[in-house]
Amino acid sequence: MDLAIKDVRRHLGKFLATIAGVGMLVAIVLIMNGIFQGNIADGIWLIENTRADLWVVERDRGGPFNESSRIPTDSYRSVAATPGVARASPFISYAVQREIGDREQQFTIIGYDVFGGLGEPGRIIAGRPIRRAHYELVADRKLGLALGQTLRLGVHDYTVVGLTRGAVDSGGNPLAYLSLPDAQEVLYQQDNRALEVQRESDRQRLEDAGYSSTEVERLLPLLGGGSATISAVLVALTPGADRDAVARHIERWLYLSAYTTEQERELMLEGKLKRMTAILGVFRTLLLAVAIVIIALLIYVLTMEKVRAIATLKIIGAGDGVIVRLILEQALVLTLGSFAFGWALTTATQDKFPRNLVLLPEETMLTFIIMLVGGVLASLMGIWHALRTPPSLALGG
Amino acid sequence: MTILRVNHLKHVFGSGELAVTALEEIDFAVEAGELMALLGPSGSGKSTLLLCISLILAPTAGSIEIDGQTVYAEGWAHRESRRLRREKIGFIFQGHNLIPFLSARDNIVLALELNGVGRRSARQRADELLDYLEVTHRANALPGNLSGGEQQRVAIGRALANEPPLILADEPTASLDTERGGRVMELLKRIARERNSAVITVTHDERMIAGFDTVRRLRDGRLLVAEEYT
Repeated sequence: MDLAIKDVRRHLGKFLATIAGVGMLVAIVLIMNGIFQGNIADGIWLIENTRADLWVVERDRGGPFNESSRIPTDSYRSVAATPGVARASPFISYAVQREIGDREQQFTIIGYDVFGGLGEPGRIIAGRPIRRAHYELVADRKLGLALGQTLRLGVHDYTVVGLTRGAVDSGGNPLAYLSLPDAQEVLYQQDNRALEVQRESDRQRLEDAGYSSTEVERLLPLLGGGSATISAVLVALTPGADRDAVARHIERWLYLSAYTTEQERELMLEGKLKRMTAILGVFRTLLLAVAIVIIALLIYVLTMEKVRAIATLKIIGAGDGVIVRLILEQALVLTLGSFAFGWALTTATQDKFPRNLVLLPEETMLTFIIMLVGGVLASLMGIWHALRTPPSLALGG
Repeated sequence: MTILRVNHLKHVFGSGELAVTALEEIDFAVEAGELMALLGPSGSGKSTLLLCISLILAPTAGSIEIDGQTVYAEGWAHRESRRLRREKIGFIFQGHNLIPFLSARDNIVLALELNGVGRRSARQRADELLDYLEVTHRANALPGNLSGGEQQRVAIGRALANEPPLILADEPTASLDTERGGRVMELLKRIARERNSAVITVTHDERMIAGFDTVRRLRDGRLLVAEEYT
């Protein structure tokens, strides 16, 4: 006879309420796992989607995603001329915040060479990639834009020609792809008043340096705010080229930094995602500990409630195994029930979750094992108390 | 046939200057079919004697035989005590002590299963006992839904489940009114007679002593002889 299940039936409401409560904590842990792995997957996807062999960025900068990197646009031509380089494409990426559909939205603009360059959008689910030099946009559906809709960025309207699904940066912000010149214009173009202020400041500096008014008028256009910078150059190597040798050549002769895709991935994991790993790790540990403590407390309370029944079991000849099984099984029912509830809740809401959740089976399994071990440990206090209960407690009124 | 024989039983709690003698030179025997009452005021040693006979408390000296087998002799450890209790002793408690999350039937089935009886046989035997005790109609009820008398009948059924030669009843009528208490005493007597069991009942309840075959009284840890009763 399974005493544990009989007791669970009697306290069904209490067990179900606990399973729901602890299950929600488990769901939060699983969601945190999913968010973390989702961020890694998104960040890595962004890097790998470019299909670049090397990332060339500003010297000693960890760009372009972890740290800002600015290099002259033309530098991609110099990179292209490096021995072993098959193709070098300019690439720009920056975060913006704009009002779209009556709400402020943060997203990342990616500018790339739309005529055969590296870094074009992936995961397109509707429409097409950008085919014209200007005023076309490919956006992730999380931005809430529709095909054919226009989005005003700076002084121009951009028409949505393609929609992606799951094209986000490592922070979960959706991506919007523009042609490189358009992306540069959105980033650098100032309004007329700002240009006037800048121009007046430049004029004052030239006059202070002793230039005549004629010379100032001639020099001013040359000092105008330039938009000729990019974040990185994406490099595809020729077959058989030595990747490290090409990287060393670029670093030595062009005074830039070159990272392989693996290094770029490491930079992202070590930089942006490292703190998140620590924070989520602490939260996950705390939540699991709270879940296990709740199970331990309930098992202990239920054992205390049953102490006379346990003494009776002992006096009528039940072995310790029967009593241990009674308590351990209830702890396992709570643990397994809570995990199943949490897992079901997580998978049911996964698609509706505002962030990309990646539930790795091995991580889910690890969480399950921790919960299982915790559940067994949680029952120890109750078991200890039950085994110490003297059978004589059953006697008397 | 002698079911229980207690020889020179002694039990001392503590040691040295703090030693308290709870039982001293207890000798008695109970025969098959005999219904014996064990009376005494609080602190007389009734509970200690019950714990010793139940193999829960190891006496300081003396020996205990149940059904012809020495189950305790001085210096023995209670290694087999739970098995011996399952096979040789049935317990009836003052508070009935039914397992609250098991139905009336399952309370009896549990005692049988603990003794290695298969599920189907255990269920059949439990139903027979419920019928014998006239509580078949309450077989599926949880103890919380049974009256005091019904609970005590189910508890008696559990005590009889493994057909033990010895039944120990701890104040079985204490929580019942006179009428229900009388019925329980009748039942215990019937059990002793029909099943040839020895039934020892620890009680305070002087109302019930008329129904017993033997009445033994304890005072200050000693069994009194008949002349000392008053």
